Amino acid sequence: MKLSRVSAYFSLHARSYLRSRSALFFQIAFPIILILLFGAIFSGSSYSPSTLVIQNESPSSVSWGVVDAINSSGLFKVQLIPQNENLSNYIAANSVQAALLIPSNFTSNLYSGGLGFVVLKGHTNPTVASADYQTLNGILTQINFRASNTTQKLVLSSQVAIGNTGKTIDYYVPGLIGFTVLSTMFNMVYTVPNYRRERLFRQLSFSGLTKSEWITANMLFSFLMLVLSDVILVAIGIYVFGASLTLNVETILTSALIIFGGLFFFTSVGILAGLVSDNEETVSVVGNLVMFPMMFLSGVFFPLTFAPAYLVTISKFLPLTYFINSLISVLDYGNISTVAIQIVWLLLGSAILFAIAVKLFSWKQK
Amino acid sequence: MPETVIDVSNLVKSYSDLRAVDGISFSIKRGEVFSLLGPNGAGKTTTVEILEGVRNRTSGDVRVLNEDPEKSRTLTFKLGILPQDFSFIYNSTPKEALTFYKHTLRASGDIQEILEMVELGDKATTPFQKLSGGQKQKLGLALSLVNDPEVLFLDEPTSGLDPRARRNIWNVIKTLKERGKSILLTTHYLEEAELLADRVAIMNKGKIIDSGTPMEIVERHHEDDNLIIRGDGQVEKDLAEGGFQFERDGSYIKLRLKNIRDATSIINYLSEHKTKFEDFTLKRESLEDVFIRMVGEIEEDETE
Repeated sequence: MKLSRVSAYFSLHARSYLRSRSALFFQIAFPIILILLFGAIFSGSSYSPSTLVIQNESPSSVSWGVVDAINSSGLFKVQLIPQNENLSNYIAANSVQAALLIPSNFTSNLYSGGLGFVVLKGHTNPTVASADYQTLNGILTQINFRASNTTQKLVLSSQVAIGNTGKTIDYYVPGLIGFTVLSTMFNMVYTVPNYRRERLFRQLSFSGLTKSEWITANMLFSFLMLVLSDVILVAIGIYVFGASLTLNVETILTSALIIFGGLFFFTSVGILAGLVSDNEETVSVVGNLVMFPMMFLSGVFFPLTFAPAYLVTISKFLPLTYFINSLISVLDYGNISTVAIQIVWLLLGSAILFAIAVKLFSWKQK
Repeated sequence: MPETVIDVSNLVKSYSDLRAVDGISFSIKRGEVFSLLGPNGAGKTTTVEILEGVRNRTSGDVRVLNEDPEKSRTLTFKLGILPQDFSFIYNSTPKEALTFYKHTLRASGDIQEILEMVELGDKATTPFQKLSGGQKQKLGLALSLVNDPEVLFLDEPTSGLDPRARRNIWNVIKTLKERGKSILLTTHYLEEAELLADRVAIMNKGKIIDSGTPMEIVERHHEDDNLIIRGDGQVEKDLAEGGFQFERDGSYIKLRLKNIRDATSIINYLSEHKTKFEDFTLKRESLEDVFIRMVGEIEEDETE
């Protein structure tokens, strides 16, 4: 391998790349848009209570007391509907997310020493239903304590444990860095079949450039662009959304090493995927087939803590999961030692995959 | 005797059942322009790509500048190659492309001079995709010249170009010929081969069916020459009286000549009889006429 040829192709590639608006958009602008969106969505500190429709079919001081307690909790915006309204029809007609029915036997059951049931209904999605159920249950528990003149002895205090400040943006910065590295794979998935179809590899071979030199020049340029886009991501995370990342010489160098390992790995995957795509249709299928599962199951956009067990198992087979976990450990916690083995595996796996990709990648005409 | 720069012996390239190149042999001397002619699918490009080292052969022996292109790592630096359907990197300019080739091939040529030579001087900074078809082809030719190569492979260099752009490229090839470059030119423009090539080989279905100078091939395969006279019914009447065989084709009268010298006796006969005619032309068969008949005959034989 001749460095002079690597540098000559690097220069040619860089100039053509920097003239491409779409390439610059996806490399620089798109990750910025993503962090601005995620940052804006998850950085809000004010809580906006959801609307809870209540139909009280058992008007009494007790039932109105429950309604008052829910209303005064500030966790719901209570909206009362008349007793004679059909609640199910009302829910359907008004796309109501959550509705609470206080049934007609509620007061009588309580006065006769029984249990006062209330029913939560709604056209809501399971996640929202679960959250509303938990919140209402909490309010009702407090009412029960008050009614029985007892006090709550055990209190669970919750604090988000991610990052130093517990902000969601601390999670998204490493996730989006992972996304930028993953996108280099997508570049290769498209570039390899495109260059093959346009016979550009054949043309480049006439210049004396070898395939290893071509890959090296591409990777060096991608690394430079990744550093640039990731520095911008980190800067926006810190200065716009107040992300608290552990940045010192050790964590920055370790992150650069992880990014370089990831670049090696995903470029190799991209080359291999590109080799099996021989037309525009298969390029798109193969590209999305490889990229989308990783994008959504590796924790780029949301943590998999609450995902079903089988998805968590699948995520363990996706290299991007380890890549992002390593970055989170290093950038959010400054924890290098616990991910050192993961980084070594990442680099080793990358080297093996790279060797396979270079071996199978031929510039010769079939 | 000039040195042999390309030597091909019993070259075969097979794809499962298809023999794209079927045992061809030829050689090219230093300073010679050699043209491979043939219809689409004849095996010209496959042959050239094997010589360039971008395609492996099935069997046979190939030497380019005394090296085996399949194994040599240094041959690329001595060759200039303009492939068929030349393409280059989107958004790159001709100047950048030539600069890249200059660095990778460790060449010392003047980029601007090469661009001027192929008449691309004013397009040096135009992105590749904005160049016209002819300009793209000229860039391909310019790239093949960066390292001042000893041997050039030009695979259909004027395919799809307008007549003016084609003539520009012909001029460049003539200049290269004058500079003593050895050129393997493939084309399906017979006129181009007749004008530029010292020797041609006609390929069809993977085989070379004849080779030699264009003149030799025409001599070997041409049929009767024709004398074409433009004139009225009086000319026909006088020719008939003189016992000449002819055909009327619109305003033309066509006479087949067994010998080209027969044309003189016919014109002399008409002059002696004071027959008035507008003009006459002597039409010899071109390489194209011969080529079409040769390739056509093979197709007909196979059909039978």
